[in-house]
Amino acid sequence: MVAATQEPREDNAPRKEAAMRENGWIPTMCYQCKAECAILVRVQDGVIKEIRGNPRAGGKACVKGMSGVSLQYHPERLSRPLKRVGKRGEGRFAPCPWDEALDAIAGKLAELRDRGEAHTLTASFFPHSITDPKWRFLNAYGGFINTALPHCDSAKIVAFIKAMGGVPNHHIPPNFATTPKGGVIILAGRHAMGCLDDATVPKDILDARERGAMLVVIDPIFTADAAKADWWIPIRPSGDTALFTGMTHHIVLNDLYDKKFVENWVREGDFDKLKDYLADKTPEAMSAICDVPARDIVKLAELCAAAPSVGVDSFKGIMLGQALDFGHAWTNFLAVTGNIDNPGGQPLPDLTPLSPVAPVPSGPALAEKGWHVTGPDKGKFHKYSFIMEPTWYQAQAIKNGGLKMLITAECNPAITEMGQEEWRKAVTMTDAKGDYLLEMLVSYEIMPSETSKYADYVLPDKTYFERWELLYMPWWYNFGHGVALRRPVVEPLGECRHSNEVFIELGKRLCPEYFGFRDDLEYYDIQLAGLGLSVEKLKEMGGLWSPGTMGFRKYERGGFGTPSTKVHLYWEDLEEVDQALPRVGLAPEYAEDTGTFPFILISYRTTFHQGSGQWTHNNPQLRDPKSGLRENPVLINTATARKLGVKDGDIVTLRSRTGSLKVRAKCTERIRPDCLGLHHGFGSSVGGVASRGEGVSDNILIPDSGMTLDWQDVVGGESHVSTRVAVEV
Amino acid sequence: MKQLSLAIDLSRCIGCKTCVVACRNAHGLIDHAAAVSGDLPYYLRVESERKGVYPNLSVRTWVVPCQHCKNAACVKACKAGAIVKDEQTGIVRILAEKCVGKGDCLKACPYGVIQFDAARRKAHKCDLCWDRVHVGEKPVCAEVCLTGAIRFGEKEVLKMRLEAEGKEILKKMSAQSVFYFRNPD
Repeated sequence: MVAATQEPREDNAPRKEAAMRENGWIPTMCYQCKAECAILVRVQDGVIKEIRGNPRAGGKACVKGMSGVSLQYHPERLSRPLKRVGKRGEGRFAPCPWDEALDAIAGKLAELRDRGEAHTLTASFFPHSITDPKWRFLNAYGGFINTALPHCDSAKIVAFIKAMGGVPNHHIPPNFATTPKGGVIILAGRHAMGCLDDATVPKDILDARERGAMLVVIDPIFTADAAKADWWIPIRPSGDTALFTGMTHHIVLNDLYDKKFVENWVREGDFDKLKDYLADKTPEAMSAICDVPARDIVKLAELCAAAPSVGVDSFKGIMLGQALDFGHAWTNFLAVTGNIDNPGGQPLPDLTPLSPVAPVPSGPALAEKGWHVTGPDKGKFHKYSFIMEPTWYQAQAIKNGGLKMLITAECNPAITEMGQEEWRKAVTMTDAKGDYLLEMLVSYEIMPSETSKYADYVLPDKTYFERWELLYMPWWYNFGHGVALRRPVVEPLGECRHSNEVFIELGKRLCPEYFGFRDDLEYYDIQLAGLGLSVEKLKEMGGLWSPGTMGFRKYERGGFGTPSTKVHLYWEDLEEVDQALPRVGLAPEYAEDTGTFPFILISYRTTFHQGSGQWTHNNPQLRDPKSGLRENPVLINTATARKLGVKDGDIVTLRSRTGSLKVRAKCTERIRPDCLGLHHGFGSSVGGVASRGEGVSDNILIPDSGMTLDWQDVVGGESHVSTRVAVEV
Repeated sequence: MKQLSLAIDLSRCIGCKTCVVACRNAHGLIDHAAAVSGDLPYYLRVESERKGVYPNLSVRTWVVPCQHCKNAACVKACKAGAIVKDEQTGIVRILAEKCVGKGDCLKACPYGVIQFDAARRKAHKCDLCWDRVHVGEKPVCAEVCLTGAIRFGEKEVLKMRLEAEGKEILKKMSAQSVFYFRNPD
């Protein structure tokens, strides 16, 4: 969605887009991944033929986006609701009329609320817009949301709120289209070429390089990004906090910091505390932790200090057990180098004045009734500060009785959950009477998934080519200004209904005072009125609206959103958990079991797949070896393989504390010798395409689901997504 | 000489395969409802080359479409006269109505880019988006390339521009109708 707010990359882009529309191309928004890029769809005789990036919005769509046609016409698409007839996990279903399914679901919701347990409902979906009616329903009814995937960047969000008082652009990199000549782009465990941000990002990065920016890739794996980098730094996994703190040490203690920014915009006293803290965080000391030579830490620090801008993006670095510490080291680094809301640096969000839909529901009391604070582990969550339930705690919550109804949409927790076996066990656990502890599991699906095997009701969802949606997310990749319209371009299949429509109907039944509007379109119209728009008008405009500016140094208008209106380097509220300043050690999951499990497993991503969703993993074009990624062998460094006696193509066993799997070895130079790599999201047993070939799920090996709470970042809300493993030949 | 051409930038290609899928969709090479991964036709493919060993590595990636060779082996191999090199554009085309499905062209092609439709008994391949380029549009691969790594134009003009930009043309990689280039080290 970056594109909704950025200037077109070509002078004639609006004319080109208009000409395409005249020729039958329809503007809408992709949803093959969470980036939700602006696209145009060519429809002929009611059938989708082709997809393109929208020229008005950067003009790019990635391989996943192009493969959306194969999703639309997939032979396994669900066309009517199903009701479970076997046990959960058996995957046996019978067709069921919508009325029967909705009566059962609404009946369970009413029952829970009558029992005073509305808060034991959680809906797991990707909150890709604050205009999402699903979110409204949860707030009105009293349930919770967790995301459709582990909160992969909650630590970044929490860190940026604490440091700057504003939510950063969620998944979001700096806007590389604004990186100046001489600017530094740092991708720390971030696969920007993987197009999970916006399809314009790879070109923006390469364009920036061509005008003289420098690309530095910090990653244990030599990614597609590393192949284009000026400098690849194969860091020890989770060493990012130490690396950035070592750089900050060098910059601050050698007087290389941005004095004007620090003087004007860092809270009084914080910089002195940071200096004291940094005293022993020398590049040499940090090198011992992160395995980056001290001279390289100094070199990168001096490059960054001298550069007109530094933009840092990370993903894996904020998905580990000390994720918030890295988020903190990251924000401190940005502050001392003055790279906040400047061209090429870290953008800050801004708001678009959408109208509220009255009455506005207040939302449930997460801190009092959330399932993470009502079970036996509640004492450990007292500093938890994310806005959603921790997805990885779902299995524990079911066992604790804090989660009794789960509705999933656009997600696949049976594979996505770290400790997936524990999740599967939890949703099938019964009480003494034989009743499931999780009283109802509802799964919205475009096609059957691993998760739907466990569902009581499987509801056929509309694809993103068949539904309306207003997209607006102040902390999403649109830099907070734009709105975008997803619109139907073809008729829906069979009896498919979009989850938003169904939640509105549930809202009308259960909390009608909040659902007085006619339907989703009227709901969006009300919100768009704040911009002087309506769905119809936005549609006529081509589905994209933006003031056309990003805005820089917006804090000059009244400071940051923190209590002091300055940037906070020191977080006094976390003194008692020793996180007032970043802990520089490695992720706790890597410190345990080092003898038994000598290798660190890296769960990596590519451009071909989005998480564990069937829409990419069960897509024939994206699992075709010529146009996607078919297999998921374990990547093993060639020298390591030689020592272990493993040859390319051998089947090896990977074993962790909680699971084991057999997988083919791929010997490669492109990974650290002490690491192994598995692509995330494979391993489905459901789907004619997804279940073919060698696909193993990394989450069989990753112990979590709340079982290893001491390893978790229970402040930033993040989960660890990797683990230590052993290789058995 | 008349030759429409693609110039493929190894400094920009990231091997994302966007062009492969867009091309397949545009040319109707796939029945989405019956598609089986591993058995789908394609007019381009991605190749890559690694140099060095950990941690001193470089990896280059590029796409391989039909090279529209000056002295195309497929043209010579086809006894039915179904493959022609168009004089006006330099595009090597397979004329479906003349193809008798012997498959000699597949064996002759040094780049392995010719596909065979077993049901219709016809060879087929990239025609540089014949219909598009005649109305002033780029081939689909050049239009959709995620990173702008595929340039389209008349060969002499493309080369002139690349030389003016100081790019290094990698002569050994192609038959010089389609060509490859990169930023110099």
